[in-house]
Amino acid sequence: MQATNTLPTVRPRRGIGKMARQEEIAFWLFILPWLIGFIAFSGGPILASLGISLSEYSILSPPKFIGMGNYTQLLNDELFYKAVANTVYYVGVSVPLGVTLAFLMAIALNQKLRGQTWFRTIFYLPSVVSGIAVALLWSWLLNADFGLFNFLLSLVGITGPKWLFSTTWAMPSIIIMSLWGVGGNMVVFLAGLQGIPEHLYEAAELDGAGEWGKFWNVTIPMISPVIFFNMIVTIIGAFQIFDQVYIMTNGKGGPANATLVYVLYLYRNGFEYFKMGYASALAVVLFLIILAITVVQFAVARRWVYYEGGDARG
Amino acid sequence: MQSVGLSRRKFLQWSAMAAGGAALVACVPAAPGGQSGSEGAAAPDGAKTEIRVAHAWDASFWPTQEAFDAQFNEANPELNVIGENTPWGEFRNKYMTQAAANALPDIMYCQFAWAQQFISQGSFINHQPYIDAQADFNLEDFTAPSLVSYKKEGDLYVIPYDEGPLLLYWNVDMFDEAGVAHPTVDWTMDDMLDAAIKLTKGEGPEKVYGFAGLPAPDGAMNANYLYPWGAKFWNEPEENECHLNTPEAIEALTWWMSFMHEHGVTPTPAEDTFGGGWGGFVAGKVAMFQQGTWYTPVLTKDAKFKWDLWHWPKGPKAHTTGTMGSGYAITKDSKAPDKAWIYENAYLSTEGQIFMWGSTGRGSPSRISAWDSYFNSPNVPPSAKVVLEILTSYAVHDVLDTVNGPEITQVANQTWDLVVLGEMDIPTAVAKITEDLQPVLAKNNPA
Repeated sequence: MQATNTLPTVRPRRGIGKMARQEEIAFWLFILPWLIGFIAFSGGPILASLGISLSEYSILSPPKFIGMGNYTQLLNDELFYKAVANTVYYVGVSVPLGVTLAFLMAIALNQKLRGQTWFRTIFYLPSVVSGIAVALLWSWLLNADFGLFNFLLSLVGITGPKWLFSTTWAMPSIIIMSLWGVGGNMVVFLAGLQGIPEHLYEAAELDGAGEWGKFWNVTIPMISPVIFFNMIVTIIGAFQIFDQVYIMTNGKGGPANATLVYVLYLYRNGFEYFKMGYASALAVVLFLIILAITVVQFAVARRWVYYEGGDARG
Repeated sequence: MQSVGLSRRKFLQWSAMAAGGAALVACVPAAPGGQSGSEGAAAPDGAKTEIRVAHAWDASFWPTQEAFDAQFNEANPELNVIGENTPWGEFRNKYMTQAAANALPDIMYCQFAWAQQFISQGSFINHQPYIDAQADFNLEDFTAPSLVSYKKEGDLYVIPYDEGPLLLYWNVDMFDEAGVAHPTVDWTMDDMLDAAIKLTKGEGPEKVYGFAGLPAPDGAMNANYLYPWGAKFWNEPEENECHLNTPEAIEALTWWMSFMHEHGVTPTPAEDTFGGGWGGFVAGKVAMFQQGTWYTPVLTKDAKFKWDLWHWPKGPKAHTTGTMGSGYAITKDSKAPDKAWIYENAYLSTEGQIFMWGSTGRGSPSRISAWDSYFNSPNVPPSAKVVLEILTSYAVHDVLDTVNGPEITQVANQTWDLVVLGEMDIPTAVAKITEDLQPVLAKNNPA
């Protein structure tokens, strides 16, 4: 063996590598339950759904491959467009309304008031009530003859509409009901507001900013990532609205399909008509719609969402 | 718990007879698909064979089922019948999913409207070899309408347990308080409307309605609402054409919708605060309603008034009413179909039907021989005897049996909703429904 003058090779990375491997093993062990759950109950079914969307499948008989047949059928389906239009109407009105209301409530509840904790609890409480119970409750509140809404309107001389039994007012009824759950977004906003450093407001005051100036130049930029997060989550949830509409319209999406939202139409095809292939195609298209809207939102977010030391990519 | 009305001794006797019948079945040649004698997966000697049976009973009826199964298990120690109950509204989806996973129970409930879907997809076995081999089965004992929905190429795939006509339920107290004459055998549709007008009273939340249960474009529309005027929604038995856009149908539907829009004797959807016409009848807010006998146990238990059931009134051109029912089938996934047959045969025998549907007052047993027990049950209304009269005279099983029944109903309802809301006239609506439905109906029995 030839002697060399060089120092023996130091292998400092070997020990770190061992630790890294151990950490890696621990990582995989910890993540494994989630991973198994995801593959078995989410990822697997999503992929299966993609495959089923290319077939004619009535559950009881094996799927028959039909290529893009379900997708071309979808393009000629009037009810598909009706369901998309209804859902876009719901999302377009309920999301801005809900997010704005949640933000305003969070600002109000961020003030240093006596009984602040109680108020926060009270405003958050409705959002923990189950969707089915809320839907049943609102069916009564919106009853045309005996409901609270029309009673209150009658006090000021207004004859209320038939709400859920009117082709014009059925969707607004669902939108109004959706505001019941803004407490969830409110809590997220509240956490965001409390995370804004006080010194930024002090600096703004030193610069001569009033209340509006502080709100517009400090609060809004600092809370913009939270607004963005709430918008993303709420839009995705709104596109998937189902249970409230199903309960409030007795599963029909009526009257005259006025509340036939996308997922209800998907459910109807899958579990009433047992057209699983077509329902899967609807699911894939909904996924693509939501994906596209989310991508656009992320692209636009770079212009208005402020991250300290970062950008909207997070 | 409902009265079960059958002595333990008698039950044991007929259970033994049923088991004897099964021995006969074991002697018959193997049925197609290895149905008979294919007990390869049966339990080893001494062990019990488990038979899973899926039911869709309301909670109040489940104790009757448990009582039957307990006595059956006692009389058949080699078998262990395990019943599972699922709410009716969830049943179909649950067992469709099990069918896809090849995990169906040995025997399952099946409503008439679902039967052809399960049968055509091979989920149920052909029961004909068992029936033919069972000397005491006597298919002639079954009412004719009860067998309509469950056949394929002449063979029976589901054994019906009930089949009953849609009847007129009426609140005797409300009739008497309003001084309205009781319905008679000769009652016409106009007599029913006159009575409904007289029975309607009050305003707002206190309002009581004369009648609920107007036609909707669903499986019951033909026999009860259109045939009496000589009209029809779809053609039977093909069920592949829409016939709603005719002067007769328009006349009939206009007459029916006058209950709501002209006379105010039927609640509008907005006025219906009791969860549908049946809820209104049980709550004493509706004087007359159309329903089958299967709801009588609920009424017996909950109604706080005198009530009865009666003939569906005569129409200007015909006297008809629809019949509906359900049955049980041994599934393709049963590992022990011969053993399952022992249970199914006992369950749907005359004695079994007396135990389950006759003596309890639930009614409309599929076997004629079980009807006497229904008439003699303490749980039936005074006029119970008319039910069999109706079933064997003017009742017809002209209800939608087709696989795409739900789609037909949904497509038609999107337009019919506007009629109910008073936003579309009937001639326009039926023209649109006919146009919308034609492609859906055309899928049935395409040329």
